[in-house]
Amino acid sequence: MGITCEEVWRDISDYVDDELDQKQRAVLEEHFAKCRRCAAVLEGTFNVIRLYRDERVLAPPKGFHDRLHARLNQKLNQGPDERIHPSRRAVLAWALAAAAAVPLGFALFSAKRFILPGLEHQSPTGSPDSPAVKGLVAVSLDANNKTFHIPSCPYLHGKPKFIRAEEAIREGYTPCVYCIGKPQPKKNS
Amino acid sequence: MTDNRESNARNDQIRATEENLISRIVDGEKDLFLELIRPYQRTVYATLITMLRSKEDAEDVTQDVLLKALARLHQFRREAAFGTWVIQIAINEARMRKRKMSHGTMFSLTSAADDEGAYVPKDFADWREIPSEALERSETREALAKALALLEEHYRLAFILRDVNELSITETANVLGITRGAVKTRLRRARLMLRDILSPGLQQGGQVGLAFKEVRNPWE
Repeated sequence: MGITCEEVWRDISDYVDDELDQKQRAVLEEHFAKCRRCAAVLEGTFNVIRLYRDERVLAPPKGFHDRLHARLNQKLNQGPDERIHPSRRAVLAWALAAAAAVPLGFALFSAKRFILPGLEHQSPTGSPDSPAVKGLVAVSLDANNKTFHIPSCPYLHGKPKFIRAEEAIREGYTPCVYCIGKPQPKKNS
Repeated sequence: MTDNRESNARNDQIRATEENLISRIVDGEKDLFLELIRPYQRTVYATLITMLRSKEDAEDVTQDVLLKALARLHQFRREAAFGTWVIQIAINEARMRKRKMSHGTMFSLTSAADDEGAYVPKDFADWREIPSEALERSETREALAKALALLEEHYRLAFILRDVNELSITETANVLGITRGAVKTRLRRARLMLRDILSPGLQQGGQVGLAFKEVRNPWE
């Protein structure tokens, strides 16, 4: 069965790419054998591909490889390269975070000693099993419980009021177990 | 078919070699990167000059692309060939560069619509066999570059990826984010248009003269 030139032009690219089945290829090849125009189109198409595939066509300009290699070498010789291993950057970030956490933790731990001047360990009640606090503490005007905190305590909710620790104790407030601490157990010795 | 089998075996061998190189580079033998990218320097440059149309920009972006490939090598997923992955980076980088060059004006990242109409060849003259020496001449190479530049970008890109960079039709489709059918349509048109532009006997009111005005038959 014959095929028209228009049908050949439609399929010629697929023929070049070997995307046709055997039967379709045979039909086209039969046409190429008889049609000089379509054979010329096929040959020209192959020539186009052959030309552009040549390494000399669309080749980088003179000196390109040297400049490229110089830049790559510069990058490669920069020693440990965080851009090659961004995971190293993550490791570094973790290390820095850990290093920063130590003084931060120490600062938080010491907050009740340093944030409020005079907030030193001392029994506000005079009882040996109570945490020692003096100086200004904060109580919440909105909370139902009667607890006093250091001003930066995250468990201080509502509108704060700052009073002296002795005063808070006199009014029946008890120290926050999170920011000031639990009552210390009695020592038997 | 034998050719295909041989080609597949060769591709498998290249891929295995590249995967070995990539593992060693990621493990610290960074100097091997130059060896890994050697086969792709021209294909990356060719892709970029096709998109950016400036030798300086193409060279500049080629360097950026290969440095990015080096930096992201540990992220390379081996489902795709290394060459395809690098070309994908190049295309994305070129699009970003074009967007920057457009200075905030709207720039479509989607390709223009394919012309679905049948392409009718305009020239039926037989091409004489092209001597390899013709390509030694810079005017011949320039003529080929100019002829390619006459095509719309979506045709140029499909042609470059498939016929210059030798990606498969499926790889080309994946890189461009289009169907295999669309790749075939673009390839058909690109190849036939280039053939018409380059055909020695073609005259088109001086338009083709951009490429061949003085070099009517560039192969001579």
